[in-house]
Order: sequence, then C-alpha cells, then structure tokens
Amino acid sequence: MNCEWQQKIALYLDDELAPAAQQEFAAHLSRCPECPVAVAEQMELKKSVRIAAKKFSAPPDLHAAIYRQLHPEPKAKLLWWKWAMPLACLVLMFALGLAFWPRSAAKDPMVASLVDQHVIALSSPNPVDVVSESRHTVKPWFQGKLAYTFTPPETAGTQYTLIGGKLVYVDQTAGAQLLYQTGQHKISVFIFPAQTDIKNLHAKPGTTFTVDNWNQRGLEYFLITDASKEEAGHLITMFQDANR
Amino acid sequence: MSGLSNKDFETLALPLLDPLYNFARWMCSDADEARDLVQETFVKALKAFSSFREGTNFRAWMFRILRNTFLSSRTGLEHRNTEQESEQGFEDSVVTSETPELALIRRADTELVQQGIAQLALGFREVLILADLEEMKYQEISAALDIPIGTVMSRLARARGQLREHILQALQSRKLVAKS
Repeated sequence: MNCEWQQKIALYLDDELAPAAQQEFAAHLSRCPECPVAVAEQMELKKSVRIAAKKFSAPPDLHAAIYRQLHPEPKAKLLWWKWAMPLACLVLMFALGLAFWPRSAAKDPMVASLVDQHVIALSSPNPVDVVSESRHTVKPWFQGKLAYTFTPPETAGTQYTLIGGKLVYVDQTAGAQLLYQTGQHKISVFIFPAQTDIKNLHAKPGTTFTVDNWNQRGLEYFLITDASKEEAGHLITMFQDANR
Repeated sequence: MSGLSNKDFETLALPLLDPLYNFARWMCSDADEARDLVQETFVKALKAFSSFREGTNFRAWMFRILRNTFLSSRTGLEHRNTEQESEQGFEDSVVTSETPELALIRRADTELVQQGIAQLALGFREVLILADLEEMKYQEISAALDIPIGTVMSRLARARGQLREHILQALQSRKLVAKS
C-alpha cells in the first residue's frame, strides 16, 4: 500500500488528529481506494480489543475491603472496651453459630455470590455498565460479550423500570445482570447458562432478600431483591413470557 | 492543600475500581496479586490525595499510582529486568490490509483476542488496554505510564500489529486444520 495517509489511520481512529485534519482525513477516505479497507480493519481490531480486554471485574470481597479502607472503624476510647468487645463477639458468634449453622452451611455459593453482586449494585454510584430504560439498547449491549442471548421483557406501562445491565462473573462464568426499579426497591435479574444444581435458594439467614430461580431454554435465571415476593413475582412471569 | 476531602476521593475513586482491577489482572500473574495491587493503590492514593491537584486528570493519576506500585512489586521488577522492547518508529508497524484479512479479523472470537492480548509484552499490553478499552487519549496514557507520547504511539502501533498477526495466524491455522 502506498498511500501516504496510511500513517494517520491510527491517529484518525484514536481521535488524535486536530479537528481540521480529522475532516481532511474523512474527505480523503471518500476518494482513496486503499485507506477505507485499512481503516475498517483497524476499527474492527479496536472493537475486538474493547470487548475482549474487559475481562475481569473486581471481586465482591475487594469492594468490601476498599470500602473498609475508606470507612475505618473508629478506635475504642475506653479501656474496658478492649476486653468487653472480644468477649461480646465470642458470645455473639457462639450464639449465632448455634442458631444458624445448619442452615447457612447449606446455603448455595452461587446464590451467595449473586446476592453479593446485588448488594454491590445497590451501593455503587455506577451500578450498571449500560444505562438505559430501553430493552432494545440493553439487549444488544451484551452481544459479543456472552455466548448466548435472552430477551428482557417490555416494561413500558408496568410497575417496573429497567435501569440497565452489567456483565458479571461468578466462578469464572460470564453472566448478565439486569437491574430494575419498582417503587423504592431494586431488583436484579441474573442470567447464566443453565448448569447448576441449586441446593438452597435462601439468601443468608437473617437477611431480607427475596431470591427466586427458574430455568428456561438452557438458561438459568435468578431474581434477587429486597422487595416482597409479590412485588417481584410479576417480573418473573414477564421474563418467562418474553423468552418462550 | 487541594481542599479535597476523603468523601471527594471516594466519589472519584470508587467508579475506577473495576477498570483498575481489570488493568491489574492483565498485568499480574494471578487474581490475588491483582487484588493486593489494587488495595495498595487505594491506600497510597488516599494518603497522597491531599497532593492531588484539582482539575488535573484523576483517572490518569490513579492508573499511574497502580502502575508504579506494580513496577516496584516482585512481578513488576521481573518484567522490568526481562523485557527489552525495541522502540522502532511506529510507521514500520502500520497495518497494511486486504479484504480477506479484514474478513478474518471480523471472525476473531473474544477468547482468541484475549489470548493475543495476554501474549503481548507488558509495555505493549498496558498501552493497548488504556487506549482501546479505557479510551484514554495519548496524553493521558503518557501521564499514566510516565512515558513520552511518541513512545505511546509506537508501542500502540506495535501492539496492534502483533495482535493482528496473532489473530490472522491463529485463524489461518484453524482453516488449515479444518481442510486437512
């Protein structure tokens, strides 16, 4: 290839040319037989990198650790706390252990991870990666990021509002998280390839999350919310209808 | 003093947690190392936040702290000692193209591209991720990595060239295997 403009392709695609040069290059593209193909190829490569390089999300425990760093516990002011607090903790742990051990041991780790992801979304200033109330914007955003597809239900005219979506990883498996609002409550719907044998659908004992799960067309759906089962139940039906 | 508070730090820094962790994972050998690196970055950044100048690029500042912390780690030192990058002019690496190659690149799956990125030398990988995923301007990358803009451009061109070659070779060998 001999066109001298070839050297500017990367600058053009990275938006690093001055506005006048950017326009000049665009005009050149309409008359050059060589550059448009090279531009298309580099643009395709850039797009592939953007999708592929976004591979890792910070794990929930890192979110928690950073949060603790930013909000350190105030130091105890009175000496007796040094003795009383560990003792109280021991007593409390023993009591909680007696009360909850059999149930918490059966809690499914997949559900526990998803509840964590939902809590992170509740506390994050940027809970989703694609922000839109339209399912026609959110659904295509997952294309190329997941090896399967699903259809979010139409929420116009219902009690639910779509907030957006996010790619999540649980046990090294990529899945979709869709976030909805109903009243003052948020609802996460997670979609993963069907694979797991969920042993226990309850969230951690003592928490108030509603957790539901269903399988449909090779995909596994999890709904997690602090809304009541009645408030969230209709969304499940809407998902099931949209994906028949 | 910049007059910025811890609350300001939290507002600015927390949205960067995922991008910083993703960047750290691409540089570190495992998840634990990346996790420690990000935590240490937040500790250092919070301590140094009073010296951060309001109005300058906070994102580049955070990535710079993470990258400097990484370079002083064991893995980072190993990389510094083993990677000898030749900095040829980026003109040499400008992609030449033909339509069949474009068709092949369009067929590249995410896993193949991830393999290609992982095989790049660290200096090329970090520039590529900051430019194409984080969509940083060359000036921002230069500030984040503490390298001249010319080096940003040459590394980026070579990273893209090598990645393109990796994809094309892998897809062509797949085609050969399918034919035989």
